[in-house]
This record gives sequence, C-alpha cells and structure tokens, in this order.
Amino acid sequence: MAESAAVARSPIAPTPPVAIENGWEVSARRSAADLRITDCTPLTKLLVLGPEGGVFGIPFGRAERDEEGVLVAGSGPGEWTLFGPPGTGEGLAGRAAAALPPDEGAVFDLTHGRAAMRITGPAAAAALARVCAVDLAGEVSPDGAAFRSSVAKVVTDVVRDDIDSQLSYLMHCDRAFGQYLFDALLDAGAEFDIEVDGFAGPGI
Amino acid sequence: MQVLVDTMPMRLEVRRGERIDRRHTFGFTWNGDRYTAYAGDTIVSALAAAGERIFSRSFKLHRPRGLLTASYIDPGCMVQVGDEPNVRGAHRLVESGMTVRAQNAWPTLRFDVKSANQAVGRFLSAGFYYKTFMKPERLWPAYENVLQRFSAGGVVSESSTHGLYDKRYAHPDVIVAGGGPAGMAAAVAAAEAGAAVLLVEEEHELGGHLRWAGPDALDALEKLRAAVAATDGIETMTDSVVTGRYDDNWVAVLQRSLPHVKERLVKARAKTLVAAPGLIERPYVFEGNDTPGVILSTASRRLINMFAVKPGHRAVVFSANADGDAAAADLERAGVEIARLVDARKGEDIVRVSGGKGVRSVECNDGAKIKCDLVVTAVGWTAPTSLTNMSGDRPAYNPHAGRFFPSSLPDDVLVTGGIAGDGNLDQLLEHAHAVGCEAARRSAHIGRRRRAAVPQSNSDEGREGPGDSPVAIPELPIAGHPELFMSRTHGVVDYSEDVGSKDLVAAVKEGYDSIELAKRYTTATMGPAQGKLETVNAVAVVAAATGSTIEATGTTVWRPPFNPISLGALAGRIFEPVMFSPMQPWHEGRRAEPLVAGTWIRPDHYGDPAAEVRNVRTNVGLIDVTPLGKFDLRGPDVPKLLNQLYVNKWSKLGVGSVRYGVMCAEDGVVLDDGVTGRLEPDRYMMSTTSSGAAALWEWMENWLQTEHPEWRVCLTPMTSAYASINVAGPKSRELMRRVAEEIDLSPEEFPYMRVRTGRIAGVDGCFVWRIGFTGELGYEIHVPASYGLHVWTTLIELGADLNVQPFGVEAQRILRLEKGHMIVGQDTDGLTGAYGADLGWAVKLDKQDFAGKRELVWQSENDDYFRLVGLQPVDPSEIPPEASQIIEGTKQIAGRITSSRMSPTLGRSICLGFVAPHLGAPGTTVTVHLPDGRRIPATVMPQLAHFDPDGGRVRG
Amino acid sequence: MMLLPCPHCGPRNSSEFRYVGEGTARPDPGTATIGVWRDYLYTRSNPAGWTTENWFHRAGCRRYFTVERHTVSNAVRASHRPAAQARTTSDPEGLSAGTERGPDAGPG
Repeated sequence: MAESAAVARSPIAPTPPVAIENGWEVSARRSAADLRITDCTPLTKLLVLGPEGGVFGIPFGRAERDEEGVLVAGSGPGEWTLFGPPGTGEGLAGRAAAALPPDEGAVFDLTHGRAAMRITGPAAAAALARVCAVDLAGEVSPDGAAFRSSVAKVVTDVVRDDIDSQLSYLMHCDRAFGQYLFDALLDAGAEFDIEVDGFAGPGI
Repeated sequence: MQVLVDTMPMRLEVRRGERIDRRHTFGFTWNGDRYTAYAGDTIVSALAAAGERIFSRSFKLHRPRGLLTASYIDPGCMVQVGDEPNVRGAHRLVESGMTVRAQNAWPTLRFDVKSANQAVGRFLSAGFYYKTFMKPERLWPAYENVLQRFSAGGVVSESSTHGLYDKRYAHPDVIVAGGGPAGMAAAVAAAEAGAAVLLVEEEHELGGHLRWAGPDALDALEKLRAAVAATDGIETMTDSVVTGRYDDNWVAVLQRSLPHVKERLVKARAKTLVAAPGLIERPYVFEGNDTPGVILSTASRRLINMFAVKPGHRAVVFSANADGDAAAADLERAGVEIARLVDARKGEDIVRVSGGKGVRSVECNDGAKIKCDLVVTAVGWTAPTSLTNMSGDRPAYNPHAGRFFPSSLPDDVLVTGGIAGDGNLDQLLEHAHAVGCEAARRSAHIGRRRRAAVPQSNSDEGREGPGDSPVAIPELPIAGHPELFMSRTHGVVDYSEDVGSKDLVAAVKEGYDSIELAKRYTTATMGPAQGKLETVNAVAVVAAATGSTIEATGTTVWRPPFNPISLGALAGRIFEPVMFSPMQPWHEGRRAEPLVAGTWIRPDHYGDPAAEVRNVRTNVGLIDVTPLGKFDLRGPDVPKLLNQLYVNKWSKLGVGSVRYGVMCAEDGVVLDDGVTGRLEPDRYMMSTTSSGAAALWEWMENWLQTEHPEWRVCLTPMTSAYASINVAGPKSRELMRRVAEEIDLSPEEFPYMRVRTGRIAGVDGCFVWRIGFTGELGYEIHVPASYGLHVWTTLIELGADLNVQPFGVEAQRILRLEKGHMIVGQDTDGLTGAYGADLGWAVKLDKQDFAGKRELVWQSENDDYFRLVGLQPVDPSEIPPEASQIIEGTKQIAGRITSSRMSPTLGRSICLGFVAPHLGAPGTTVTVHLPDGRRIPATVMPQLAHFDPDGGRVRG
Repeated sequence: MMLLPCPHCGPRNSSEFRYVGEGTARPDPGTATIGVWRDYLYTRSNPAGWTTENWFHRAGCRRYFTVERHTVSNAVRASHRPAAQARTTSDPEGLSAGTERGPDAGPG
C-alpha cells in the first residue's frame, strides 16, 4: 500500500515552521512576546459525565492538576474535562472510568472533537475581554476558574490556568470552529501585539 | 505669526483656563477656503475665531444657522469632514489638513436655492410628510427623489475605507456618567471606598461647567482633576458617552479619540450607575431665535473662556438667572459692548430678532429696538433625564424650579449634580461624595451576591467592602427659577427638525393634543439633538396650547441612544463563526465551489455536478459528509430515549446494526431523520441532519433533564470529532478493501444497514456503516477527525485506477432525488406531519409514548393532508423551479414542487412535491404553474424513487 | 440586556440562553384528548406580571431550568432546576443558592 503514515492534524493551520510532535503536525515557531497564543489541540481531552457532587473531588467551576499532572476541570454540573499530554487517551480514559461509580456516567474521548488553544501573558484578560462577556477579574475568575460561555459567539470552555504566575487561559471549542476562534483571538490580541507560539509537549 | 492673528479677528488674548494651545497651529479648509486653528480648537471655535457665523442650513426651510450651544449637541454645527458626514463641528477638534464642508446647502452656504422653502413654508408645516406626500401613491417614487435631495445630512462616500471599530466588555463596580464636578467627586469617593470606577465624560476633558465659570471654579477644577488622577481604581474615558442604560445596568459606552481604532463600544455590566450629566441650557422660543448670532449664555462663556473667542461685538443679554448675569460680565470683560441686559426677573422680555444671515437688531416687549450683532439668552435649564428615564423612571416637573427631576429610581441607579438639585459648589461636592460612597456600598453588596452565585469564583476571597449601613445622602437645595419658555411671538422649538411653536400649536388644533402624539406628528424632538434642547419647550408649547400645565402634560420618553452612534461602532468586531471539515484544505486545493450551509462551509461541487453523479453511478465517488450530526449515546437506558425520540421502534436493534429513524416534534411535524447504529451493547451512535444537529442536542437534553431524569443515558455530540466520508458507487467495495483493516467487507459479513468498527488507512477507532443515501452500494466511514485529511487523500490515491472522484452537495442532492429520498426541511416544512411525508410506515402508534404521538394518532384518523409524491413533468426537458405551485382549475393551489433537478442518469427532469389528497394516486396528471406564467402537466409516480425503486443496487 | 440567574453558572447575559417558554405539564398522550394536547402545545397565559418559565443555558452549563420572572420589569425572583429533575436529586425543593430575589436584584 502506498499510503503514508497517518499524521494527526489540528483544525488550526500551523504557523511555519511546521514540525511533527507526538504524531501531530504542529507549529514549531517560538515566541517570547508579551502575549502569546498556542494551538493546544494535540492535548488529550476527555469528557467525563457522572453524578453531580464531584467524582474527582473537583467541583463545577474549578480546575486543578492531579498527582500525575492531568488538569481536571469541573466544566459543568456532573461534567469534567480532563487534559493530558498527547497520546495518553487510552490510559487516561481507563483511570477516569475507574473513578466513576459502577453503572453511572461515561467517558468520551474528545481529543479529535475539540480544538484547544491557550493565550498567555499579562494582557490575556484584556484581549479576552474583547470577545468574552464573563467578568475575568481576579475575584470572579481567579486562577483555577473554569467556565463555559460565548467567546466570539462560539460556545467555549475557558480554564484560567496560569503558568509560572503568568496569566493564561486554556480554551477549547467544537473542533470545526477551531480556525475561526483562533483567528478571532489573534484579532482580539492584535492591539497587544499577540504572537503565535507553537505547541511543545507535554503541553499541560 | 502675524498672518495667523489676521485670520483670527475674533480671538482674544491669552486667558487662564483656555483649552487651546497657541504654540501649535493647524491649517484646514472650510468649503475650500484655507483657515488656521490652534491645537485644541473645535472646528466651530476656529471658524468663529475667524469671524464665520453660518455653519449650516436648516433641515426643511434651509434657513442659515450659526452656533447655538457651542457643544456636541449644537444643532446648527453639523458638518462634513472628508468622507465623514454629520460631524459635530462644535465638538470635533481640528486636525491638520482637515477638509471641512457645510452640509445641506446647495450650491453654497450663503446662497442656498432651497431657502426658497421659506417662502413656501406653509406647505412644510406640521405633519407635512403625512399630508403632502400621501397621494397619489403612484407619485411616491418622485416624492422620494425630491425628499432625498432636500433631506439634511452629509454625503456618504462609496469609496470610504472600512475603519476598524472595536468592542469590549467591562465589569466596573460603578459607572459615573458625566465628568463635571459632581461626577468627579462621586468617582473619587466611590474609588476611595474600594470600587472599580469607570468615569465617562462626553467632552474632551473633565470639568463640566467649572471650565468656563471663572477663577474660583478653575481653582476647584484643578483640585478635582488632581484628585481623580491620584485615586487608584478610576478608569477615565473622555470624548466618550454613555449612550444607553438597559436591564440590570447593562450600560453602553461609546469611546472616541482612540489610538488604535476609530471608535470602541464598551459593553459594561455595572453594579451601580451614577448619572451626573449636569444641566443643559434651554433655548428661548421667539421670532428669529434661530438667526445666526442668537446664542445661549453657556455658549458665550464656552467660547470666551475655553477658546478665547469673542462671540460678537455688540450684545443684548436676556437673563433670567445668575448664569446669564455672569455671561454678561464675561462678555464685557472680553470687550463686547453690552447694549442692554434685558432682565426677565423684572418682567422684561425679548420679542423678535431681525436679520437674515446674522442678527441686526432685537426688539423688546417695551418697544425698544436695539441694534446689535449678538443676542445671548439665559432662560433656564433642562436636566437630561435620559439615563434615569431608561432606568424606568418618569421625570416629574417642579414648577418652582422650572425643570424636570428624576422621581423614583431603582436601587442600582443614583444621581448627583444638577440633575439632583442646585446649591453652591461645596454643597454639590458634598452631595456627590455621599452618592459616590453609597454607590460603592451598593455595588459591593451586589458584587458579593453575584460572586456567591458564580461557581468559578473563590467567594471567600471577596474583597473587604464598605459597611452595610446606607450612607446618608444630603438633600440638595432646589433654586427657584422663572418658568420661561416662550415669548409672545412664535419661534423655532426643534432646531434639528425645523419645527416651530406654530407647528406644535397647529398640531394641537388638528387634534394631536398629547405630547407623544404632537411629537410624532411634527417630528419635534426626533432629530439629531433627540430632545435635549427642545423637549421641555415643546412640552411647554403644547401645554399652553391645550390650556394645560407642564406637570399634567408630562414629558416624552427618552430612549437610547443618548447620542447618535455610528453604525461602525454598533457593528464593532464582526463575529460570524464558520465551521470547516478536516478535509477543507483538500477541497480548496481542488477549487471546490463553497456552499454556505448554516455555519458549515461545504463543497457544493468541483466543477461539474452532473459528471460527479455519473461517476458515482458507474465508478465510485467520495463526499465529505462531516457536517452530518453525530451523537455518542451511552448507558443502559438508551433504547428508552430512542423510543421516545423516534416514531419507530428501537428495543430490538442488535449490536452491529443500524436503522433509519424519523423524529417528530410534539405537534407531529417531521423534525429530523437519520440512522442510528448500535456499536456496543450500551453504546449507540446517532446521526442526524447537518442543520438539525444543534437543535436535536437540546431536544434530547430536554427529554433527559426535564421529563426523564431517571433514565441512565449519557450523550455528547461527536459531529466534528469524526470526519465522515461517504464512499458510494459500484466500485466502493473494492476501494474499501484497499483501506479497511479488521473489517470483513463481504456482502454476507457486512450487509446493508450494518455497522462495523475497525482500522481505516492505518487509523484506529473508526466506524463504518453501510447505508445508501445515493442509491448506490455505499459505505460511510467515520474517522477521528484529526486523521480525516489523511484518510481522504489515501482513498483518492488508492482509488485512482477505479476512477474515484469527489462529489459535492449538489451531486448528492441529485443522486438522492433520483432515489426519492426526501430531505427534512427541503421536502418538508413546518406543517408536514409524518404521514404527509410518506413516512407512515415508520410510525408505530402501538408504542406507549413517543414525541408527537398524540398528534400522529389524530393525523392517522384525519387523512386530509397533502402528500409527498414523486412527480415527472410530461415534457422531460421542463424543470419546474422548486416552490412552483401545483394548481387546480384556475386559482386553487393543490400542492407544490419541493425538489426538482435534471437527472443525468435518466436523462429527464424529476421532482418531489406535495399534492392534495385526491391527486395522490399514481398516474394522476397535475398542473404545475411556473414562475413565468406557463402551466405544464406532470405525472404522479407510483413511488418516490425515480431510479432503482427496488433498491437492488444499494443492497448489492 | 438582562442578566439571567442560572442556578448553576450564576448570573449571565440573557443572550447565552434560549427561551423555552412558559412551563406547561406534558399530558399523557395515551389519555389526553386532542383539545388538551393542543392546549399543552399552544395555549400560554402570557401575563403582564409574574410568570414561571423555562430557559436553556445554551452557551453555559447546557441545563434547563425554571425562573420566575416579572415580564414588565424583568426582575427574577426565583431560579431553580426543572421540577422533574428536582425529584431525583438530593435537593428536594429544587431550589439552589441565592435565588430568593435573584442574585441581581438591587440591595436591601
């Protein structure tokens, strides 16, 4: 068979130079700009539905990393989103399923169903406030806040997930809207000289 | 430098508090002539300094107009700047090289032919739109043509560049609307109490009336500005305006003078709003009150003290208050001769002004006629109760003060400054301070309550707020003022709309005797000034004409926007989300014609849809069907949900099988259709129409959340998680053999209407169902979306010798029409029940319950519905356009065509359509009425399928 | 734009929600007359005053919920889960936090 090895692609066109990382085509561009945006679609993304009240000890509205570095976000009432490094879907799904009570809930792998992106930098909140009506002030949406709202008219999950005390928002939306949302965030960040920063593993 | 002075004969010597910077001069043009301005000059202040007095022609009568208020709302000062029409000339600052022209004047400002309207003014009186241009209707196009030429406003250039307009959200604790002394003091007090404050000022700098009210006021202004600058937590926006207040303090702020964008609309959710808009000086109604040279006392003080411009040479001042007296003193100090101070408090009055293009003399009620070139009036104030009105308040008139006040405000809206009362500066600042503290206290209260309801906030991190006992707000004294609106002569009430007191009196005589009716009939208060100058005068005129009082007459309702907003600012950032499939780069590479299908962008065709159809019938084609709705359903109670949603039965669907299903809404109307497969004992995959997917998710959640929360079902959409590729055609099995692993494709092992999971083109986690929307042997492959492009290109490469070709939505529509497969929404509408759509075979009324059951029972007993049938025009070359009516007799509508195409396979036109019950029998000839008026015969077919009705090809 | 107090997400702009409509109980399709059924489908009281209605938080938690809203002032005095759902959760009253007057009514 003449077929080439299967390469996974994000819905967001990679900014050159392009490299392969963990079987994913990613941008290898590096930026040290004050405001940066990264396509994080290669991350493993699981949706867990289960009984309300905290399967992982994480309430709706909050996000935390577990002992293995997986970011667990309480993304809805009885709903969690798990973010892991690329290619860890199967193991993570098994762990998540084990955490559910028997005969209740379900684990869905949405790695390929969601586009993920992260904007980082001191101006990240100001840029996001161009396109999102939720109050991003520290006392309403502190580090570790997780909410879903409309971002540039697309239903988007937002996790405030600061990196080394730098303001950072991890967002994900329906995969098919990925390029649109990425472009909308670039536009919102233009006033703050936003730059694309490529994905590098483990990425979470 | 000498040249400059010569061009500014009315410019005064340097004065403290002037906002112009004489070190910087700009050249600009006005109607083609060159003028000079200082930095900080407005267009009108620069022109006034040069001695210009006429800035526009009035709306209907084309009377020459000068400046009146020397502020943003000045109705006579709208000008064209470059390609931008309707620029507020008394507000916009001059920029170097600016090209400014007069609007609404032809051929020139001084000699305007349309001023002949004045001679025929009686035809342009109250309600002239309604009377003059009513009949005959056939002349309307001519009327429109004439009216457009006469309408006010500048010229919109078709070659204007698309400016960048921004939008952002904000969540201030307190918004202070108005940056005068009260607004500044309230903002400082609120910020000191811990609130995040947004202070919004319409003009170019903070200060309000302190900017023109003398040395003491300037001292106070410096202190207040310093306090604002020194206080943390205040964001100040100047040249910005609060345009509206909506439910729950949703406040729109338009920001101008920005470095990166033309304008920005700030959508602010404020916890409390403090309205501190100050007061607007009211014009006086008398004959000739719109003559250039008749100005308000505040305009005179602004010109002198802010711009160092002498408003005239010899003035008559008509004063009813201390501000008028102060204006007279200002004029005198500026070297203007005061011919007479006409004191309204002593019963003196002005009756008429003479002069066409400028004031020549004024006549008083004692008969004196005084030569002058300037008339300054100070007859009282209007509180701009716009924002409080938008907050639900109805302003109440106080005859003692001669103005309206807010009467009852919601808890989250407060007022301070002139809108609340009078008093000296200290009293005003004391009031503002208390209001600011109380606004902060209330906002802290609201903020704590909101944060407690928000799951993502750490509610215990709530910042220390001010105490819980309300701040005592002192009462401001209310100064007495004569009720002075109109002289014994008639004059202009609404300068923007050219409506006079005579028009309002005429409207009352014609029966429009309530203020809301008279407003609409005369259009008074409906122009660009939006009532700020003219509302109270209009109310006073109507009250006098009806023999009523102002209190009883009431005022009109102020609605947003407070000031006009550009359409660009309203549009802001344009968000039009679009969805792409993973194969979009390939489609673009093949120059597919894009089809906008809801939010999805899909390939309509790749050049020749008919050839695409033929290739599917003879070889094998690929279509990207990623937008097809897909839902992953898990749990033991999925069959219960499926039985509730679909009209057919689902309890016995085996693992590895798929079934076609139809859903109806509760009114029995066809909602959606698609196939659902059972992948594992407790895992189902449902497919839906592309356009119905979003609504169906909500529909399913509704059943699970509100009717059957006890069902153990988890579901989530997978529409874009899987790239979906339909491989269709007689050679599809051969192509599938080259990419499928772990799947036995033999007809025995993988028959029609089955689903298999496995590896496709090296990609794990795929599932394939064997279905045939096109009527050919076909496989629908669903691969994890990130590998969609890989699988698609692999299929194209490996199928080259089979002549695999892509096909688009148009070819698919032809193929399915040949096969007689209806499309929900195309071949059904909002009234099509399941039986009418020929889906009665699927409806299982013996099920205990399902969505729409009750109506379907009724439909099954009342079969007078139109029926979906296959139709073929007798002339095979006629393709009746979709939505053509089927006619019986001469006029009776007896159906319609829902789909029609030329069939490349059959070489003739084919249709689906609805017909009346008695026309549904196969072989019936019906009459189709074409849009061009012709009527053609068409034959009702025995079944919906025009091609391969037995389905031999699809089952092969 | 009014704020709607979602019982799960807290107050959000009403543009995030889909208005479902006045709450109506679904009759048993096996026994309801067609008249009763069509009342369920089409008849609403549409008062100028307090009304109990359902909303769906489309851009947020994707939950259906019930609010009591005044149709003239847009004030919301209660916001809670759907009645049927309340039966099966640990919150038997179906009420959640802070909804006595709605989290966004004015102070005092």
